[in-house]
Amino acid sequence: MIAPVIEVENIVTRLGGNTIHDGVSLQVQAGDVVALIGGSGTGKSVLLKEIIGLIRPDAGHVRLFGEDVWAADDEQLMGLRRRFGVLFQDGALFSSLTVEQNVAAPLREHTGLSLNECLELARLKIAMAGLPMTACAKMPSELSGGMRKRAALARALALDPELLFLDEPTSGLDPISARAFDHLIRLLSDNLGLTVFLVTHDLDTLLSMVDQIIVLAHGKVLGQGTVKTIQNIQDPWLEEYFSARVQVTDTNRGQYEEQA
Amino acid sequence: MLEVVGRWTVQHLHQLPALPEMPDGMSVILDGAKLQALDPSGAYKLLTGLREQAGLDAGQITLRNFSPAAQQVFLLVVNNLPRMQVLPETAGLGFLAKTGHASQTAFNHVRGFTGFVGQLAIEAWRLTRRPGAFRLKEFVAQLEAIFVYAIPISAAMIFLLGVVFAYLLGVQAEKFGANIFVVDGVSAAVLRELSPVIIAILIAGRTGAAITAQLGTMKVNEEIDALSVLGLSPVAVLVIPRILALVVALPLLVFIGDVAGILGGMLVAKTQLGLEFSQFWERLDSIMKMKTVLVGMGKAPVFAIFIGLIACRMGMTVARDARSVGLHTTSTVVQSIVAVIVLNAIFAVAFTELGI
Repeated sequence: MIAPVIEVENIVTRLGGNTIHDGVSLQVQAGDVVALIGGSGTGKSVLLKEIIGLIRPDAGHVRLFGEDVWAADDEQLMGLRRRFGVLFQDGALFSSLTVEQNVAAPLREHTGLSLNECLELARLKIAMAGLPMTACAKMPSELSGGMRKRAALARALALDPELLFLDEPTSGLDPISARAFDHLIRLLSDNLGLTVFLVTHDLDTLLSMVDQIIVLAHGKVLGQGTVKTIQNIQDPWLEEYFSARVQVTDTNRGQYEEQA
Repeated sequence: MLEVVGRWTVQHLHQLPALPEMPDGMSVILDGAKLQALDPSGAYKLLTGLREQAGLDAGQITLRNFSPAAQQVFLLVVNNLPRMQVLPETAGLGFLAKTGHASQTAFNHVRGFTGFVGQLAIEAWRLTRRPGAFRLKEFVAQLEAIFVYAIPISAAMIFLLGVVFAYLLGVQAEKFGANIFVVDGVSAAVLRELSPVIIAILIAGRTGAAITAQLGTMKVNEEIDALSVLGLSPVAVLVIPRILALVVALPLLVFIGDVAGILGGMLVAKTQLGLEFSQFWERLDSIMKMKTVLVGMGKAPVFAIFIGLIACRMGMTVARDARSVGLHTTSTVVQSIVAVIVLNAIFAVAFTELGI
């Protein structure tokens, strides 16, 4: 059996006196698209930051490609970081660089290529992320929300990573852009053999593009499996989550009136 | 037929071998049996290499023995290549166009500044009609930040300048046996010029930058929009208390600077020139006119208004990104220091002409 790409073992996190994670363990296999869900304040984003080496957990191990993130020295961590890309929630594009300079930045830092080669490869990634070439010379502040996400995706893909982390990839996008973005990620992960780990609230993302779901609740992993498996788990929050689709009626007036 | 060997990935891109010489316009078969890894960057390099060497299009390339994964990567890049053809035009602007743009920017800046002053005047007028709407809490908080916390640094700086000035003056005065005139020199220099100008420059850097950075970040965070939506005027809530706090704080700081500068002078006069504190004091009492103190302190509120106007206006016009906050903060410091020095020159000429 191939070793899992992400292996999280008994993570414990305490922030400001609250125990957020109380023994979280999970595994992600190569090539899977896995979504992490959970109610607000269950520590999804914190867990993501612990996996990518930004916040140190109070106890437990995180292994990426079999290497312990929190025991790795600087050089090992650098090597690991070359192998994964991260898409932050609001893109986190460097506002002083143009889009193509943003995408070329990881290439400049981590490869021995010349500036022109870096920019050329950056343009390939920008095209792969579905942006028009006219976006290359723009500044991040000139882009719309959807374009900014795509530019950030292009930067996350710059070093051709094997593993991609996405923090709420569709938040702040309209439904059409959101589905297009889901589709793009699935297309790339299928064609490039990417492993994708994403934190999301978007039910449509789960239903349309995800192989596996991991549910975080009460500081533990409530379950891991396909959408079907997860839907069958008996849990009040999960039941509410999956039934949280609005029924279209002629009018919404009076729906929330108090019963006399 | 070409054999593709080894790892064609972004990490190994700079070590890849050059493609062999090939005649133009042939079709080619790529054999991937010995290919260990291929990522989009590698595939791109391969495709562009073939295009440059032999003028080959993707359609003239046949893949053989490629793993399904490598084939998919290759196809993904092939499909994306046409989208890269339309390169953005990077037409540079001519000298005339650049000059035009620059003057337009300068004009817009002046117009915006004038508009801001007008808006401020309207809000200030409204406030006089409804004094209850004045943000006393914000004003006091700003006064604390601008005045109280700036006391140590202001006193220290002018004290040291007083020391230096008295020392240099003392060296000259001693030659003529005119030790006592050090008092005249130090008091005139510190009270009239050094203290007001140096403290205004200090506050321009310290407080001007802080105001621009804070208002700018609030703008980025949409907090300023939120204030407007609540029916509050950002100018009344944020700008007026800050400018007023500056107008109150700067003369007070200048006065503290005056005292510190004189103390520095006294100390040097005693240790270097053997001038007793009492002698210094008597001389000061007989030559120093109230006018000198008032001229120095009177310049301070004018400096304060300009620093406040520039800092608030630059803060409110930040665009929604981090770079803009940095640019505007720098601009505030530069503009306000220039303003202080220019104003001071105008004051010097005007006071001389008026015989003050």
